[in-house]
Amino acid sequence: MKINIKSLEYPENLRKIKKPPKQLYLKGNIELLKTPGIAIIGSRKCTEYGEKTAKQFSKELSIEGLTIISGMAEGIDSFAHIGSIEVKGNTIAVLPCGFNNIYPKQNIKLYEEILKNNGLVLTEYKEDEKATSDKFLERNRIVSGLAIGTLVIEGGHRSGTSVTANLTKEQGKNVFCIPSSLENQKGITPNRLIKEGAFLVTDVEDIIKKYPELNLKKRVYREEIIKIEEEKTIKEEYKNVYNELNEENPIHINEIAKRLKLDINEVSYKLTMLELEDKIVSLPGNNFRKK
Amino acid sequence: MVSSIKTISLNGIEGNLVEVQTDITGGLPAFEIVGLPDISVRESKERIRAAIKNSGIDFPSRKIIINLAPASTRKEGTSYDLPIAMGILAALGEIIKENLENTIFIGEVSLDGKINHINGVLPMCIEAKNLGIRRVILPKSNKNEAAVIKNLEIIGVNSLNEVMDYLNKKIDIEKTTVDIQNIFSKKEKEGLDFSEVKGQENVKRALEIAAAGGHNCLLIGPPGAGKTMIAKRIPTILPDLTFEESLEVTKIHSISGILDSNIGIINKRPFRNPHHTISQTAMIGGGRIPKPGEISLAHNGVLFLDELPEFNRDTLEVLRGPLEDKNITISRLYSKVIYPSNFMLIASMNPCPCGYYGSNEKECQCSKQSIEKYLNKISGPLLDRIDLHVEIKPVKYEKLNDKKGEESSIQIKERVNKARKIQHERYKNSDIFSNSKLTPKMIEKYCILNKECRRMLELAFNKLGLSARAYTRILKVSRTIADLNGKENIEKEHLAEAIQYRSLDRKYGDKF
Repeated sequence: MKINIKSLEYPENLRKIKKPPKQLYLKGNIELLKTPGIAIIGSRKCTEYGEKTAKQFSKELSIEGLTIISGMAEGIDSFAHIGSIEVKGNTIAVLPCGFNNIYPKQNIKLYEEILKNNGLVLTEYKEDEKATSDKFLERNRIVSGLAIGTLVIEGGHRSGTSVTANLTKEQGKNVFCIPSSLENQKGITPNRLIKEGAFLVTDVEDIIKKYPELNLKKRVYREEIIKIEEEKTIKEEYKNVYNELNEENPIHINEIAKRLKLDINEVSYKLTMLELEDKIVSLPGNNFRKK
Repeated sequence: MVSSIKTISLNGIEGNLVEVQTDITGGLPAFEIVGLPDISVRESKERIRAAIKNSGIDFPSRKIIINLAPASTRKEGTSYDLPIAMGILAALGEIIKENLENTIFIGEVSLDGKINHINGVLPMCIEAKNLGIRRVILPKSNKNEAAVIKNLEIIGVNSLNEVMDYLNKKIDIEKTTVDIQNIFSKKEKEGLDFSEVKGQENVKRALEIAAAGGHNCLLIGPPGAGKTMIAKRIPTILPDLTFEESLEVTKIHSISGILDSNIGIINKRPFRNPHHTISQTAMIGGGRIPKPGEISLAHNGVLFLDELPEFNRDTLEVLRGPLEDKNITISRLYSKVIYPSNFMLIASMNPCPCGYYGSNEKECQCSKQSIEKYLNKISGPLLDRIDLHVEIKPVKYEKLNDKKGEESSIQIKERVNKARKIQHERYKNSDIFSNSKLTPKMIEKYCILNKECRRMLELAFNKLGLSARAYTRILKVSRTIADLNGKENIEKEHLAEAIQYRSLDRKYGDKF
């Protein structure tokens, strides 16, 4: 579907920015353009810390009722979308390319997943246009333009992330930042932005309280309820293995076997079953943790 | 004066009878060898002339013609020295011709008349026995290797003089015998054993499965995790070599000249770990006169490729054929040789270029693309032939010091042997021996899943994003696990365990 700047559906936020896109191509749930959204941006090559915080904040902001807007690039962008999808939240992806040349290619699956979850994907480019580096920056102005504020997770020195943050400032919107360790190369941008006056964020409340006028209502997080129910239904057979795991620190398969004094084949079997039932996550290196 | 001496030539690991005919006549003094000798055979003229002279016999100043029959096949190598020298001596009447009946001569002579070690004695002796030869006279250092063949009189000699005295019955040389039973029952005391591997239970279990079903295996882990150490111990849990198998192995090692002359026969499975800079030819064999490569040297044993992605891609691709066919045909202009290559492939690699992806010790520095690029160095078809992917983690210090006894190789081997026996029984009417060789049709027949298993597998495919190639691998491996547990049918715990060994199809594949 295509809308132009004169269309009724054209988001009011976007009309106000410098150089608003003349037309928008859309796929998915167009209603999301009317919902308040927050942009989550960050480095393409993020650290594990970045991945974790991006997912966590995206999930919690989704539950708070905000739409997550990002660029569907690798790294932070992807994790922002994934986090939102995981809690069945609303998410909008803004592409730097046409619909026939999804970039990056490995995110085509994510793209389909967003559409499947009633999300929205949009772009200002005709369907056959390919992604080029200048379009990334152009895309960023739409990401910040659609949102009511921008949350910066990670970004290196002189990165696209800092450009988007500056755009947000120019558009007169709030910039929120997750603080990073001084040793983290990818923490340079958020830390610098904080120094320059951006809001330091340690939990979602810090963001929500800046927008009292929105009167946000918590979405009923169905998964949460289902999860509690599911936990009760873990089969007796696998319970011993499940109880050894926790949510934070992954545990190696040999460690589980040792603690339970079980044979490795039995542990291995139970872990697979638990994974198939979506109770646990398997991580590289034969490590496991609770979901 | 004509004489005729028998010897054996080699083509690959097959021996052929060659008759060395000598004619000494009057005329201008000359020494010619005919019958397509190559340079190494032609050079023997000089060695023989000096050796005979230095053994105290006048070299005749007459016309000497040597014919190597059949004259139409190419001859190479130094093993013709002794038979040619014998031919000349017999033609001169220095030895009693009647004593040459039913005897084969092989060996290289040196200038002072000594007889030197040669390669490939075992396959030659096997052919000799097939031809009904009774006695083989060969270099002393080769005698143990040859004595493995029963019903063959093996005479090891040191010098030309000794051969002449023996044939003229001036001295007696006792025939060599080796006690095969003894060699096979000898257990190496300081040999490698799995009990030395502390912790790593999941890896040991995976390798037990690999050994039981003859599955190829890929070990993935950060540097220093112990991949090489564990791989070296795999031969100790494989079933013992049978006599026939060890003959095959010894044959190949014999022609490559890497056989230990004190032992004579190889009594344990070979373990070959070529460096990753190896060339294609060194890997599969080749050369003008084709020599066996690493895959044949690893026949009936383990071929360990450390740092798999570092290998030249072409070198890895040539493995595909031999992995399926269990032998390799090397064709060159003048010869075509088939070498057996029935090996178990164990490969190891880091999970990413820096080596620490998924490790707790150190942060991984690699971007997603570089990891993908690294993993893509191994082609799909090769990965297709590897049934088990095992992830290894370094063992913590406390564990290294752990006094708790680990299972020994013998205990593991016992279970492996049991599972192999079940497979032998099941496949006795077909031409395969282990689960790893199951064809698609046989999978349908022997890997039947009940309704619950089928549902579970479907769920696994959807949820874990397994690739299609994982499907048959999982079935084969779960068949082996069921055999290890002594179960008739594949049950869901077998299937679930097998799914754990497909890590490359999931965590490293599409991450979403």
